[in-house]
Amino acid sequence: MRVFFATDIHGSEVCWRKFLNAGAFHKADVLIMGGDMTGKAMVPITGGNGSWRVTLQEQETLLDGEAEVAAMEKRIADRGYYPIRLSSDEMAASQADPSLVDARFKAEMLGQVQRWMDLADERLAGKGIRCIVSPANDDIFEIDPIIAAAKLVELGESNLIDLEGLALVSTGWANPTPWNTFRELPEPELRERIDGLVKDVPDRRRAIFNFHAPPFGSNLDNAPKIGADMKYVSGGQALIPVGSHSIRDAILEYGPVLSLHGHIHEGRGAVKLGKTLSVNPGSSYEDGVLQAAIVDLDVKKAEVKRYLLING
Amino acid sequence: MTTGEMAKAPALFLRNATGLVKGWSGFDAFVYSFMSVNLVALGMFYSLAIFGYVPDGSALVSILITAVGMTFMAVAYAGLIAAMPRAGGDYVWQTRVLDGIPGAVVGGAFGAIALFLVGTALALDSTVTYGGAALGVIGGAALGLKRGGLGFVLSATGWWFILALWAPIYGFILNIEFIQPLAAVLGWTDGVTFFGSHDGTFVVSIATIVITSGLVALGMAGYARIQRWCLYVGLIALAVMFILLLVSSQDTFKAAYDREGQALFGVPNAYQATIDQGTAQEVAGGDINNFSLGAGTFALVPFMLFFLLYPNWGATLYGEVRGAGDFRKVLNGMLGGLWATVALAIVFIFLAAKTFGWTFFNASNATYVNYSYGYVTDAPVIPIWGFPGLLAAYLIDSHIIQAIIVIAFGAWWLGWTGTLFLSSTRMIFAAAFDRVLPEWAGRVSEGRGVPWAALVLIMAPSVVLSYLYAYQSATFYPLTLDAVLVIAVTFFGSSIAATILPYWKPEIYNASPVARFKIGGLPVISIAGALSTLFLGWVLYSWLVDPLYGIGVGNTDSIIFLGVLYGAAAVLYVVARFWRRAQGVDLDAIHAQIPAE
Repeated sequence: MRVFFATDIHGSEVCWRKFLNAGAFHKADVLIMGGDMTGKAMVPITGGNGSWRVTLQEQETLLDGEAEVAAMEKRIADRGYYPIRLSSDEMAASQADPSLVDARFKAEMLGQVQRWMDLADERLAGKGIRCIVSPANDDIFEIDPIIAAAKLVELGESNLIDLEGLALVSTGWANPTPWNTFRELPEPELRERIDGLVKDVPDRRRAIFNFHAPPFGSNLDNAPKIGADMKYVSGGQALIPVGSHSIRDAILEYGPVLSLHGHIHEGRGAVKLGKTLSVNPGSSYEDGVLQAAIVDLDVKKAEVKRYLLING
Repeated sequence: MTTGEMAKAPALFLRNATGLVKGWSGFDAFVYSFMSVNLVALGMFYSLAIFGYVPDGSALVSILITAVGMTFMAVAYAGLIAAMPRAGGDYVWQTRVLDGIPGAVVGGAFGAIALFLVGTALALDSTVTYGGAALGVIGGAALGLKRGGLGFVLSATGWWFILALWAPIYGFILNIEFIQPLAAVLGWTDGVTFFGSHDGTFVVSIATIVITSGLVALGMAGYARIQRWCLYVGLIALAVMFILLLVSSQDTFKAAYDREGQALFGVPNAYQATIDQGTAQEVAGGDINNFSLGAGTFALVPFMLFFLLYPNWGATLYGEVRGAGDFRKVLNGMLGGLWATVALAIVFIFLAAKTFGWTFFNASNATYVNYSYGYVTDAPVIPIWGFPGLLAAYLIDSHIIQAIIVIAFGAWWLGWTGTLFLSSTRMIFAAAFDRVLPEWAGRVSEGRGVPWAALVLIMAPSVVLSYLYAYQSATFYPLTLDAVLVIAVTFFGSSIAATILPYWKPEIYNASPVARFKIGGLPVISIAGALSTLFLGWVLYSWLVDPLYGIGVGNTDSIIFLGVLYGAAAVLYVVARFWRRAQGVDLDAIHAQIPAE
């Protein structure tokens, strides 16, 4: 069985489209998206009547006509941001009322996830490729039912999924971060959650853990250190482990054949923890590069035959 | 579509999400660059110590020319960082950009030149040499045609293999800038003798390997704090030196040098004796007030790269590049480190000329180099190198204060040496994750996350080369400049990648914040990349052809050493491909672009 695992695409349209095509391209049997699929930013395109203005990457551009606006919207969306057209009045209102921004953010995220599920149903139809999506700590809870409702996409979070005799156990909940995001738990509670999910797995070696946060101290969790002012320390060169102790302990205790992680974009790599191969493919979604792990599994022996970290 | 000034309305709305930080300090970028382009540990050790070999060259102008060349390179690198942020540096940039026809052309050219040089150095029959070069074209082109091969060879050599040679060089710098001067002023004559011996050289190299490995184990977070304190202490030491040189006359220095020559080494009239020895060896010439643009000045430029080549050394991890502002911050950090060092270097050479005397300064340096490199058999007048920090300290008639000044100058070494193996381990990780190296190469210890396997892979060849450096010094000291050449080749490859990026990989370039930066309609990254390519290409040609530098075709050992490095990297990659293929792993899949539509 070949598993194609990607994660942390944060709203990048091009990365999602690549993800859906990856099954056929890399001859994968299963596609797994590890979460943090919604974007972090909205880019306002202001104006109207055919003349628009946008600032992207600190560079302002004046757009003339629908074609230029559409091209810019695609560029913004491919970077994982939500392009939103606003009149001057709407912009002023958004600046004055944060609740309007929040509402728009939510609408954009839900709308995108719905489009993505529709696209998945369209592209995966008749391919015989399974697709599992498991939201993570940066994703609002409201996207879960949208994923669950998709015809050809299975919701990973908290669902035990059988993959040719291997049990996929997923959670996007993570240990606490400085950003206090949606799905965070203190370590003891995170461990309780994991134990609750694993208890129904008859043979823990025949499990695949799809846990968003990487295990602590595994090198898959090295992130740039951040100071109290929320700025990178030492220009971003000071890397520290920020992974989860609970997840590390669970991996070492249960010994699944494979554990899949994301969360730390800089933590690309693969390590052995006990008998488990743990991978974090990292993320370069802003460049439109889909970083992923391809893992070939011998399902009879519950062994990893080979793996490859790719930049597709 | 037109571009204007940034609007006052918010450019984007952010929600609360992991990883959203408020940027990073440009000063941090400056510190790393400044300590990499290290005025004391690198500049004074080598570049600023060789002016006596090219007496008709202008020290000032050669430094400025080199800095201009490095400015182009810094712009090209800042562009690559902006286009492919957090990608991991030269390895990934070259791998992503140098493929297809450009990759084949670059790889073929590298292969041909490499095998031609090896054939020439070995004095092989011309048919064999040219046949080898033809094979080099084919092999290099094959490596460059598909993604991965060329990037691996150029980066493994520049960020891994050659750093094994840097280990004894770092050790030698520690020895002659810190340990021997300290032993001398503290009156430990046995120490001076021991550390001046082959055994002493080897011991210090091993100590260096242990220290740098320890700093890797400490992690960059801990080392960054050390580095910042080293910056402050080092700058204080430098300021003390500048003040001493500014307020002291040449006669005062001559008297101080003669005093310490007698007191510490039992050498009478050491100042004039040093000048006489330098004159006899024809290395005491030169005029600090020469500002010419003649051949001698250009001949000095490749020497200056020994310290000015690395403003980009830590640039690959300078946080996120979210827009044009961060691009400028990266660039300012690199250029700030470069040009601040250039300014200090210029102040230093004029102060050295004023107070030490230019003739004495050049003689003191070159007579030591001549002897330690095995160019002459006459030992220098003073048995230890005239480290400028020590020379300045002589102006204070107190061995305790002299020792304090020497110790403070040691901060320049400590604040820079931690980057040695750190860079190597990152390259080894990247290669292991790309399955070119075995899986174990990327392993870390469970406790502190120490990359022990990667450390072993760099420490083992470092120990071997340290042994050879210490006990085969006549062969290996002259290869010191090879350590720079190999890194320059890596940067040369990335400069080519920067040049062609907008045309060969427009999808990457157009999505980057530097896509708007153009001059005369041409992308700035291409202009800077092309100028950097030309500059580095000229320097590489000079190193390989001009006997002045001692590492080119006239030095068989050097060419064979380089051939072994590049050959080993190429063989390692080819073996990895076949080995992985036998395992069912296709390395081509790593960089295969998945269609979006």
